[in-house]
Amino acid sequence: MTFNVGLMIELAVQGIINGALYAMVAIGLAMVFGLLRILHIAHAGLFAVGGYVGVVVTNASGSFALALVTAMLVVGLCGMLIYRFCYEPILSKPPYVALIASVGIFLAIEEGLRLVFGDYGLTFARPQLPGSFHLVATVRYAELAVVVMAVVLFTALALFARHTRAGMAWRATVSEPAMASSFGVDLRRVRYLNFFIGSAFAAAAGVMVAVLNNVVEPHMGAVPSYKALAIIVIGGFGNLQGTLIAALLLGIVEAYGAVFLSAWLDRDSVAFAAMLAVLMLRPQGIFATAGRSGGRRWRIGELFRPARGANP
Amino acid sequence: MRVPTSSRRQLAVGLLAAALLPVAAQAQAPQPIKIGMQAGITGPAAADGNAAVAAVKIAIDQANAAGGVNGRPLELVVHDDQGKPDQAVPLANRMIGDDKVVAVISAGFSAPSRAAAPVFQKAKIPYIAAIAFAPEITRVGDYMFRVTSVGEVQGRAGALVVGKLLGKKKAVVLTIKTDFGKTLVAGFKEAAPKFGVEIVKEYEYGPGDRQFGPLIASIKADNPDVIYATGFYFTGGPLVNQIRAAGITVPIVGPESLSSQKFIEIAGQAAEGTVITNVIDWGTTRTEVREFLTEFEKRTGGKAEAVAAQAYAAATVLIAALKAANSTDPEKLRVALEKTDIDTVIGRLTFNKLHEVRKAFPLSVVRNGTWQANGVVDDMVLLTPPE
Repeated sequence: MTFNVGLMIELAVQGIINGALYAMVAIGLAMVFGLLRILHIAHAGLFAVGGYVGVVVTNASGSFALALVTAMLVVGLCGMLIYRFCYEPILSKPPYVALIASVGIFLAIEEGLRLVFGDYGLTFARPQLPGSFHLVATVRYAELAVVVMAVVLFTALALFARHTRAGMAWRATVSEPAMASSFGVDLRRVRYLNFFIGSAFAAAAGVMVAVLNNVVEPHMGAVPSYKALAIIVIGGFGNLQGTLIAALLLGIVEAYGAVFLSAWLDRDSVAFAAMLAVLMLRPQGIFATAGRSGGRRWRIGELFRPARGANP
Repeated sequence: MRVPTSSRRQLAVGLLAAALLPVAAQAQAPQPIKIGMQAGITGPAAADGNAAVAAVKIAIDQANAAGGVNGRPLELVVHDDQGKPDQAVPLANRMIGDDKVVAVISAGFSAPSRAAAPVFQKAKIPYIAAIAFAPEITRVGDYMFRVTSVGEVQGRAGALVVGKLLGKKKAVVLTIKTDFGKTLVAGFKEAAPKFGVEIVKEYEYGPGDRQFGPLIASIKADNPDVIYATGFYFTGGPLVNQIRAAGITVPIVGPESLSSQKFIEIAGQAAEGTVITNVIDWGTTRTEVREFLTEFEKRTGGKAEAVAAQAYAAATVLIAALKAANSTDPEKLRVALEKTDIDTVIGRLTFNKLHEVRKAFPLSVVRNGTWQANGVVDDMVLLTPPE
């Protein structure tokens, strides 16, 4: 096969689009893990709920913007409710207990969506953001929207974390929960905020996936549920910058892999091959800031010790 | 008061008779013939599973309305395999041990059907796979039957459509990594040279994939004049949508698994012109087919697709065999099934020595947002199933 520069550029662009979606989903998982050391599998269920709310509200109201905002608010709230009624009562238990509960919620969400909206899923009554343009590579308007949305959301999150009191409290709690608490930070409020933001991001990703595929299905969270897990492992277990970089890298690797490796290696297995390599060579994750006090070093064994902040 | 002995005896006899009466009444009403059905009615296979169950229920209800089989009503016992092989074996044992079914229709996918098949073979219970493509199933033994054409056969039909009917010579092939996808493409590649079709590139993708941007970018560079795309409505819908959005306009040919109306809903305008090798002849004038299509839509609110039609055909075949055997004896039923030669909603069916089905492929094309008839592939030499 001759080397085709145009194709290489197209694939890089596709990789960035993939990566932007992965980042929006994985960030919430990393945030929950960073704060509570819980593997929040139900997060992928919230991603699916986001997609469904997006389609239902768009079809009912005709406004895609309204649907997007509604999805982020509703799913953000759902995330808070999951924390309040599922994780909070079992924080003193080892994290695998919360993990089991989380898998249960994930399955309940999947089957719930199936029972309410049917086996075949839903589609938009009119396709949203149709068409494409050509600038270096061919990009669909919907794909451009994914990247723009990711940039806007992550910029907003960074500004929030650096320049607002609530944001600083949140950062302080993630790195030093006991210290933050002794300085008067309300841990519970921080956790609610954490779940709201992470879930809203997943909802945004869900809505954009609905637009890209023109379909939402009960099981649309299945792939993100484990791929996001691989991303946060590669990214350094709760390290947010690391998670973003890992998501982008994985998106790009997958884009090339889908074309050049598809006969030998499944697209989804690329993520896990990378995860296994990272676990073997650098178990704290590629981007972990090693050695920091109370820091993000993490071992599998932690899964069996009581959660962080069990007794706030 | 003393009751004379003779009256006491009469009383006892009377009581006994009274006690036996309901039993006697029951014995007079004919026992239903129990037919088992395996399908994934929850979990990822649920869409197909529920459609298949609805279709088979239509066949059972129609048979019962017409007086049942040999004077006995039919009773359908449905078990959920959740789309998982590990659920299939206990389910098979329950059907055999508890339900005492006389035969089984499976609308399970390949993996759960492959797992259940040996259990039914061992118990000598005829097992008709309606939609499972795994080649091993019919090789399990002589009680196994399949009413859907194996992937290789349908892939050959696809090559005929591409090369002979559309006259295209440079094909890109997209393989979904399932038993079905791989066997379809194997058949397509086998027959392609016969129709002058060259395969310029082959791509594989997973059943979980919905975003095909990278593949499509590469297909553009390949510049084919036709695309043979295997997949299901939930992968094919987004795929065709994204292919057209990227500006690729060459014809797209696919298998029966795109035959759901949902495929057209997802792909939208982009679906127009897609041609598939189908099992439903949407242009048919045969009353029983029309009746089935109408009744299915009435009961489920959705249009029938390949899965529903094949499940219904499996029921048609089984009911006809039960009538012909005039018995529920497994051996007699198996022999009757082997002699099947019957018109069904998916056309005329017979079985070969391996109990693989012999049938033609009606073609369908998307026009104005619905599947419409588009000819037929009935070269029965090309479509010879494996033996």
